[in-house]
Amino acid sequence: MKKFVKLATVAAAVNLITATSAWAAEPIVIGMQAPTTGSEATYGQDMFNAISLAAEEINADGGLLGGRQIELVSGDTACDPQQSVNAASRLASQEVVGVVGGYCSGATQPTLKIYGDADIPFVIVAANSTQLIPANPGNAFMINSTGADQAKTAVDFFAGQDIDKLAIVNQGDAYSQDLADLTRDDWEKAGHTISAFEVVNKGEQDFSALVNSIRNSGAEAVFWTAYYADGGLLIRQLRQRGFQGIIAVGDGSNSPQLFDIAGRAAEGVYAFSNPTADFLPAAKTFISNYETAYDTAPGPYAPLAYDGMQLMAWAINKAGSTDADAIIQALASADGEAWLAGPISFTPQHTLARSNFVVLEGQDGKWIRYQP
Amino acid sequence: MAWYDLFLQMIVDGLVLGAFYALVALGYTMVFGVIKLLNFAHGDLYMTGAFVGFGALSLVSGVFGAGWPGIFIAMLLSMLAVGCLGVVIERVAYHPMLTAPRLSILITALAVSLVLQNAALTLTGGQYTAFRTDLGFGGFSLGNLFLSWNQIVLVTTAAVLMIALELFVSKTLYGRAMRAVAIDKDMCRMLGINVSAVIAITFFIGSGLAAAAGTMAGAYYGSIWYFMGFLIGLKAFTAAVIGGIGSITGAMLGGLILGLLESFGTHIPFIGSEWKDVFTFTILILVLVLKPTGLLGKSEVERM
Repeated sequence: MKKFVKLATVAAAVNLITATSAWAAEPIVIGMQAPTTGSEATYGQDMFNAISLAAEEINADGGLLGGRQIELVSGDTACDPQQSVNAASRLASQEVVGVVGGYCSGATQPTLKIYGDADIPFVIVAANSTQLIPANPGNAFMINSTGADQAKTAVDFFAGQDIDKLAIVNQGDAYSQDLADLTRDDWEKAGHTISAFEVVNKGEQDFSALVNSIRNSGAEAVFWTAYYADGGLLIRQLRQRGFQGIIAVGDGSNSPQLFDIAGRAAEGVYAFSNPTADFLPAAKTFISNYETAYDTAPGPYAPLAYDGMQLMAWAINKAGSTDADAIIQALASADGEAWLAGPISFTPQHTLARSNFVVLEGQDGKWIRYQP
Repeated sequence: MAWYDLFLQMIVDGLVLGAFYALVALGYTMVFGVIKLLNFAHGDLYMTGAFVGFGALSLVSGVFGAGWPGIFIAMLLSMLAVGCLGVVIERVAYHPMLTAPRLSILITALAVSLVLQNAALTLTGGQYTAFRTDLGFGGFSLGNLFLSWNQIVLVTTAAVLMIALELFVSKTLYGRAMRAVAIDKDMCRMLGINVSAVIAITFFIGSGLAAAAGTMAGAYYGSIWYFMGFLIGLKAFTAAVIGGIGSITGAMLGGLILGLLESFGTHIPFIGSEWKDVFTFTILILVLVLKPTGLLGKSEVERM
C-alpha cells in the first residue's frame, strides 16, 4: 500500500511537470531501432519500453536544451538485415537527431552506413559483435561489452583474488573456446600462469580424470567458459573431490538452473553476467517504474537501452544543440557517465572502455551481486 | 600430488567409470549371446532407467529418504520396470524378426533406440533434469588419494550385481539354459527348453542391469537428460568388444579395462582431455582389427 501511494505521488508529479512544460519549444525527435516482430520481438519490445521510460523521465525533468521535449519514433528491424535497412532509411528520412537501439549484430551492421551517410549519431545498446567495429563510419557508439570484455572482467576478478595458477575449461564450441582463448591470452599477458587448459566433450558425465589433472596442476582457481548443464556437473565433481580453490563460470552458465544441477556445490561459485536489472543496485527504482508502466519485469537488455537513451540525452545537452557533429563529439567525450549499468567511456573505436560485466556469487541457491 | 598418488587416483577413478561401463556392457553381451543381436537400444534403456529411477526416488523418498536406502529402493523399482520394458521391446520389436536377416533386426534396434530417445526428448522437453539426492560429498583420504563414500557404495553395488549375475548364470537351471541357448537354439528346442522364455529372461536381466547403472549414474552425477545413453551405449559396446562379445566375464573385464584406459588416456602428455573419446574408439578399432574375438571371446564358425 505504501509503495502504491508513493508511486501515485510520483505519477501525479510527473503529470504536473509534463503539463507545464508541454508548450515549450519544438520537440527533439529520437529514433529507436530494435526488432519488434519476429523471433526476437520480446527483446526488442523490452528495449523500446526501457527507452520510452528514460525519455519520459527526461521530459518530466524538463526535457533537453532548456525545455524541448523528446519525441520518439520507432523502427522495427525484425532482426533481419534487409528490413533493418528499410527501418533505418525511414528513421533517417524523418530527420531524427539521433538513434538509440540495435539488437541483432547482423541486422545492425548494415544500418551503420545509412546513419553514417545521413550523419546521425547512433548509440548501439545491445548488439556486441566485434564485426561492428570496423563497419563503424565514426558516428556509432557501442555501450554493450564484447566477449573480449568478459575475458578482461575475468582476469581482473581472478587477479583481485590473489590467484596465480588458473585452470580454464571449455567445451570446444566457438563461444566457449573464444572466451577461453581470450582469457588465457590476457591472463598470461598479465604475467600469471595457466596451469591447465582443458576441453570437455559435450554430453560427458564423468569428469574425474579432468578433475585430477586440474588438482594435479596445482590450480588455485578454475574458470568454466561454457554452459550451465555441464558446468553444474563439473562444479559438483570438483567440490566432491575436494577442490577448494575458487570456481568461476562465464555468462553461459549464470542461469539459476546451475543450482539445480550442482546443488550445494554451487554455493560460493562466482559467475560473470551482463548487467541485467536484478544485479544493479542503481536499478531498483527503474525496476519498479518499469513494472508499473508495463506490467512485466524488465528483460535482459532493458538497463542498457535505458542507459543508451540517457547517454544520448546527456550528449545533446552537452553539445548544446542538435548538430550531429557536436553530439558525436560529446558522445566521444563521455567520461565515466553512469546510470543503471557501469560507467560509460569510449575507446577510440567507440567501444566501451571499461567492461560492464558484473560478478555474481552463488548464495543459498541464488545469484547475488558480488562486492569485493 | 606425487606421481604415485596420481596413479592410484586414476585407478580409483577408472574403477568407478569401469563399473558403469561393465554393468551396461553386460546387457550388450548377454543379448548378443542368446540372439546374436547388437542391441543398440541398450544405451537408451540406461537412460530410461535413470528417468524411472528418478521418478521412483521422488515417490519413495518420503518414506526412505533420498540417501542411499531410498536410492537402492528406487534402483530396484527401476530395474523391475525397465526389465519389463526390455522384455516388451524384445516381444514387440525383435521377436518377429528373429528369423529375418541379421541386418533387418539391427536396423530395428536402431529404430527402438530412436523411439526411446525421442519419447524422452518429448516428455522432458530436452532439458536437463536435476537428480536431487541427499548424498553428501564425504569420503576419506589416504595420503593424497581421495575416496568418496559414494564411490565405494557404487563400486560395491556394481560388484554385488555382477557376482549375483555370475552365480545365476553358472549355478541355476535358467542360467544353464541361457548358456545352452547361446550355443545352439535349435538343439535346445528339441530338448524341450523354452527358448522364448530364456530370451525373455535374458532381456529382463540385461535391461535391469542397465537401469541399475542409469539410476546410480543419475544419483552420483546429479543430472539426467534424454541423450545420456548415447555415448555410454557406444562405450559399453566397446567394453563388450574388448572383453569378447558374448562373454559375461569378458564384459565385466572389458568395462573395467576401458574405464582404466580412459582414466589414463586423459593424462597422456600432449594429448589433452578433448582427445579422450578419440582414444577410446581407437582402441575399439584396434581390438576389432587385431583380435576381433576380444580378450575372452571364442571364435565362432558361422554355421550355414
